[in-house]
This record gives sequence, C-alpha cells and structure tokens, in this order.
Amino acid sequence: MSVEVTLPPLCRAKDVAEGQTLGCTVPGQRRKVIVMRHRGALHGWLDACPHYAGGTPMAWKKNEYLNGAGTHLTCHAHGALFDPETGECVAGACLGKRLTRVELRLETDGTVRLAKALEGGKTE
Amino acid sequence: MNIIGPDALVFGVDDIAACTEYLTEFGLKPIDVTDKGGFFEALDGTGVEIRHRDDPSLPTPLPTPTMLRQQVYGVQSTEDLDAIETELSKDRRVTRLADGSLETTDVFDFALKFQVTKRRELVMEAEKINAPGAPAGRAPNELGIYPGMPALPRTLSHTVLFVPDQQKGAEWYVERLGFVITDILVPAGPFLRPKANDDHHTLFFIQTPEYMKGIEHLAFHMGGPTELMVAGSRLARKGFQSFWGPGRHKFGSNWFWYFNSPLGTHFEYDADMDKHDDSWVARQAPMSPQGTQMFLFEWRKRWSPGPGPEGITEGEDTPE
Repeated sequence: MSVEVTLPPLCRAKDVAEGQTLGCTVPGQRRKVIVMRHRGALHGWLDACPHYAGGTPMAWKKNEYLNGAGTHLTCHAHGALFDPETGECVAGACLGKRLTRVELRLETDGTVRLAKALEGGKTE
Repeated sequence: MNIIGPDALVFGVDDIAACTEYLTEFGLKPIDVTDKGGFFEALDGTGVEIRHRDDPSLPTPLPTPTMLRQQVYGVQSTEDLDAIETELSKDRRVTRLADGSLETTDVFDFALKFQVTKRRELVMEAEKINAPGAPAGRAPNELGIYPGMPALPRTLSHTVLFVPDQQKGAEWYVERLGFVITDILVPAGPFLRPKANDDHHTLFFIQTPEYMKGIEHLAFHMGGPTELMVAGSRLARKGFQSFWGPGRHKFGSNWFWYFNSPLGTHFEYDADMDKHDDSWVARQAPMSPQGTQMFLFEWRKRWSPGPGPEGITEGEDTPE
C-alpha cells in the first residue's frame, strides 16, 4: 500500500515576481531552498554555495540572492556568480561547480512545494 | 617604515543602494554618501569607500570578480611615505598625489595607497567585567548591559586576501614594507602585522587559484565580546546572513563573527585581539576546525522556557 506523503509548502507562486528570489525555510533542514522566477519559470536551488563542502548560505540578507544587475544568483560570501537556469558557477570561488537543483511542484492553488524530500543536510 | 594598518578599503560595487543599507546597518557612519557612493566610517575615521564599479575614478580592477579596488594604508609621517616611495620605486610605478599620498600596486597587482594616517585617536573604555579575585571592573550599580547599548565598530582591524602564492606575498610584505609574520596557518598562509601596529594581524593571506584572487574578508574591532555579540545579534535579527560565528579564534585570540555582504566579501566583527612585539616567535597550526578556533556558536532567535512544551521564541518585532 503506498502512502501519500505531503511535502512541505515553500511559498506561493505569486509571491515570487519575475527576476526575484525567495529564501524558503524547510522544516528540519539546515539549508533553505531558493525559489527564483526566471523568464517566467520557477527554479529551485539549495541555498548552499558549493565553494565549501556541505555548502554555505548565500544571501546577504533575507531573500537577497542576486547580484546588483539581477542577472545571476550570487553567493554573497565571496561574490561567486551562478547561471540562474543551470546553476553553474560562471565566475568566482567555485568556478566549475554548480548549485544543487531542488525540484519544485506547483499546485493548482498556487502553492509551491518540494517535489521530493531533500536529501541530507538535516538540522544538526 | 612606520605603517600603522588599513585606513580604508575601496570597493567598486554593482548595487550602491544595497551596500549603503548594509554598511549602515553594520554600524558604519555614512559620510557624504549619495547614489554614487561615499565613505562609511568607524568611530576612529577608518572605514570603507564604495563607488559604482564603472566609476572612472576607481583604480583598475583585478581580472577576477572581486569588488576590492584599493587598500589604503595609514603611516605615521611624511618620512614614512618617502621611505616607501624610495623602496617601491625600485621596481614598480609609484605615483605621488597632490596631497602627498602614494599610489602603487603590490606583488599580486592589488592596488595600494599610502597616506599619513587619517585615523582619529580613540579615547574609550574597553568592555568592563567583574571576576572573583580581581578588582571590580564596574562600579557598584553600574550595569554591564542594557537595551540599546552602543555596539559600533571602533576601527578597521584587518584584511584577508585570496592570493595565488602566499609565500611570495609574505616575502614581499616583509622585505619591502617591513611587515612581521606573527603566526602561520598551514597550508593557507601567514598572519602579518606592520611595524607600527602591535595587533596580532592586520593582514592574512589564503592561498587559492589565480581566478579567486581578491578579498576574502575584512574586519572591524569592537569594544569587547559583548559588543560583538550585541552588534551581530542586531544584524542577524534584521535578516542579515551570518556566515561563521560567533566564536573565538586561537591565533590572535580574537572573538569573531562573520556576515555575508553585497560587497562580495565577508564583513567580520572582531574583539579582544592579542598584542605582540618583536620578541614573539611565530607559531604554526593546521587550517582546521581545531586549529582556527577555540569554540564556535551559531546564532538563533532568542528562546526561553515557557509554560508550553515548545517554550517561547521571540517574534519579528521583539524589542531588544
């Protein structure tokens, strides 16, 4: 018998405007999930810069994950820039590495949820 | 060469408004700041200058994403400027500006400026504590803490740079500018202090690939560990992102708390750093959790036991 597991809601789709980011807390997880709307589509990324193993938080302030021009996700630890569609680091400390994509599920009522449970990184 | 330490750090940023908000909330005072940037000073007049990255008045950028554009060192006198000019002119261009200051580059092409220091002498008390067996630090009825207590950066403490060859960097700053190595983290690099400053370090190198060359972090001295905790807690409570700390480093003994920033580098509050003289013999330790720190904590919202099973966590607008 399969068991339906309801994964936690992250945010409302309408709360993420084009070119904006939200840092969403996931219960029991050490790292947040970044939800970004880029060219109309929602993308989910683990708030964990790959510069150091295990990742470190990237915002400079709550929900602030972009560079000044709004063109790249940015780690505000050392200024590394990431492609908002692929998560690839294009400049900075983690050149050649990429962000961890988080699959999202958009429900008919506009709720954005995790599509599957996050692996690892639980609260210590 | 009586170099005192960093008077200022100059950045070319891509978001003046965000940086203005950040630097102000960090506790620096805006001086003549406009939408084109300006200076943000600590209590002694040292600080951080920001301009838009395309501002033609800024020194040439490094070929990496770092936003650091110039390190401004304060020296004791014009004679020190003369000595620096004579030494560095042997193998690099040194420009004497109208005010007598010097501009040049270091061995890694980081832009440097030397000036007779503009820092003001601070006359302030350190954090005062009471301890059994020692004379009381505070008078009767004098409180140690209170809501709204001042906790502002006092002076620019140190700079940490990502460099492609820490050995080469250490040799250059020691041989050409008279810096002293106080301790070494292996394999990262050396802690350095200039001749006219007895702080454990005003400069530290971390060896990295060339594409990372730039600033790793900068730090401001606070009046003691409580001021550090208060300032950091205020910042965290407003939603600013803690990166590492609070904790206490082993080398230097300084308390630390690092925050992310829109200037592409960490800003650190530090407090109670060791002082050294020339009799000190440099130590070595591994760049490891136990090598770099005595202890480490992580910020959380204030919580207290309460009548319910979860206790009570402070809300968004809980007063200090």
